[in-house]
Amino acid sequence: MGKGQPTYTDEEFVAAIRRDDDRALAQLYRLHFPMISHYVLQNSGTEDEAKDVYQEGVMVFYEKVREGSLELSCQIKTYLYAVCRRLWLKRLTEKTRYGGRLDDHEPYLETGAEADLEVAEERDRQLGTMSQALERIGEPCRSLLEGFYLLDKSMQQLTAEFGYTNADNAKNQKYKCLVRLKKLFFSQYQEHET
Amino acid sequence: MKTEADYYALFDAYRAGTLPDDERTTLERRLAADPELAQRLQEFEELTGTLTAYGRRLALRRKLHAIHADMDAEQAVRLTPLAKIAEEDERHERFASGQAPRPMLRISRTEEKLRAFWNGHRATMMVAASVAIMAVFATLLGLEWWRASQKPSLYGYTVLRREVERIKRTQRSMNRTLNQIEAQPERSNPGKFSGTGFALTADGYLVTSYHVIQGADSLLIEGRDRQRFRAEPVFTDVAHDLAILQIKDKTFKGFGRLPYSFKRGQSDLGEKVYTLGYPREDLVFNDGSLSARSGFEGDTGFYQISIPVNPGNSGGPLLDDKGNLIGIISGRQMDVQSAAFATKSSYLMRLVDSLGAAGAGQSYNLPRTNQLAGTSRPQQIRKLQDYVFVVKVYE
Repeated sequence: MGKGQPTYTDEEFVAAIRRDDDRALAQLYRLHFPMISHYVLQNSGTEDEAKDVYQEGVMVFYEKVREGSLELSCQIKTYLYAVCRRLWLKRLTEKTRYGGRLDDHEPYLETGAEADLEVAEERDRQLGTMSQALERIGEPCRSLLEGFYLLDKSMQQLTAEFGYTNADNAKNQKYKCLVRLKKLFFSQYQEHET
Repeated sequence: MKTEADYYALFDAYRAGTLPDDERTTLERRLAADPELAQRLQEFEELTGTLTAYGRRLALRRKLHAIHADMDAEQAVRLTPLAKIAEEDERHERFASGQAPRPMLRISRTEEKLRAFWNGHRATMMVAASVAIMAVFATLLGLEWWRASQKPSLYGYTVLRREVERIKRTQRSMNRTLNQIEAQPERSNPGKFSGTGFALTADGYLVTSYHVIQGADSLLIEGRDRQRFRAEPVFTDVAHDLAILQIKDKTFKGFGRLPYSFKRGQSDLGEKVYTLGYPREDLVFNDGSLSARSGFEGDTGFYQISIPVNPGNSGGPLLDDKGNLIGIISGRQMDVQSAAFATKSSYLMRLVDSLGAAGAGQSYNLPRTNQLAGTSRPQQIRKLQDYVFVVKVYE
């Protein structure tokens, strides 16, 4: 593993990620990737697919930690394994008419990961709709909203960037854009739901 | 009247906490009173919340990608530091001298792909390979078995001893168990194989084919009148598919005078010939012509004859129109239309002569006169039928 890097226990990992410690995240990522990579490769996946599945799994874990709603009843390793296993199984069934058995090399326990995944899937859907709405809203709304909400730029920066006469103008424009986004977002979101 | 955008400005300020106290209290009061406004606020919050979450998700994804890229880079350095250095050197060299590039110490892209493919489809390929192997062996075994069952003989063609039907046997044993109360006396089993044989001398010597008695433990001779005698082989000639048997029963009194004689010379092509045999439980007559004076693959010890013969015909006598015995039925060729083979009687005579010359106290009193010449075929057969027997073989 890393040279001269601090090693964390599971509790310290959770605490560090809550503090938004990127080094801890990187450490955690490196620590468990070989396990998932091995698992996916063993079960007719590729290196790239392993990477995708693992990143998705880490994201689920990370977002749970950030929300503070994580109830970890087992090791992080086991949790990640359960999540990624589930994700990979889903991908396999989508990809092929794969009816086979998965080779487990880690003990597979009930970790509550299944429930977490359902929540995560719902969230994915929501974010996907948002991404589509942003695609369709058009310029300059898209850049403005992305600048403010996604790239964390200040109103002053955006005013200068888009050439508005003052910050209030920019703000007004932003609110108008939000209204349009709202219409797009909710209409699509509901469309999905029905 | 405020537009929706104005409300959003208001909500934004409200959430950010930059709204003056009096405005905030008015807004809160209105929110409590007006469900439509409350709904609007909720939507606003969901929208901005999702936007922020989306932003965070994108940021996180970038972060993870960066981590992964770092990891890959580290690994590449760790795995191929030598290759990297070599590559660097080479690049410098190439720049310096303008030479063609050297082959590199690196896994090629195709090999990488092959490896990935192997990893992905290993299980499937294993299964496919084992199925293929099984299929190959099953085919080989099956072929071998088929060939063995097609050609059980030393002679290259299908010899015609009869395997007594297994069904009949099981049926019989079933009947026996069903009728056990009647306590029948133990019947001898019907034998594993059967062929045909005929009398050589009046005092109890018989001739049949060697392959009929091949591997036999005991032999039973059964005539048309259902009389049974125990017999033992006294001499066999594997090359000409001949066997001489002797009846060993004390009750045996001799056959009486044989009506046919044995031909010492060769018969001519086109001669009308016939045979009697036991391909079934009953005596069966068949006739045809002598079609060649050599047998399977040019074997001069045999005739080729155009008689339809069946398993069980082996060892039967082959006679010509005048009632001379000219051969002993041996077998047939499966892939040729009605090509049967019979050992020439001259070989039988030579065998008998040499046995007689060797002495050992036995002499073969071969019939010298032929009572069949000049009679019609049904008459010939009526005389003959008492001298043709079923040879039952027990292994």
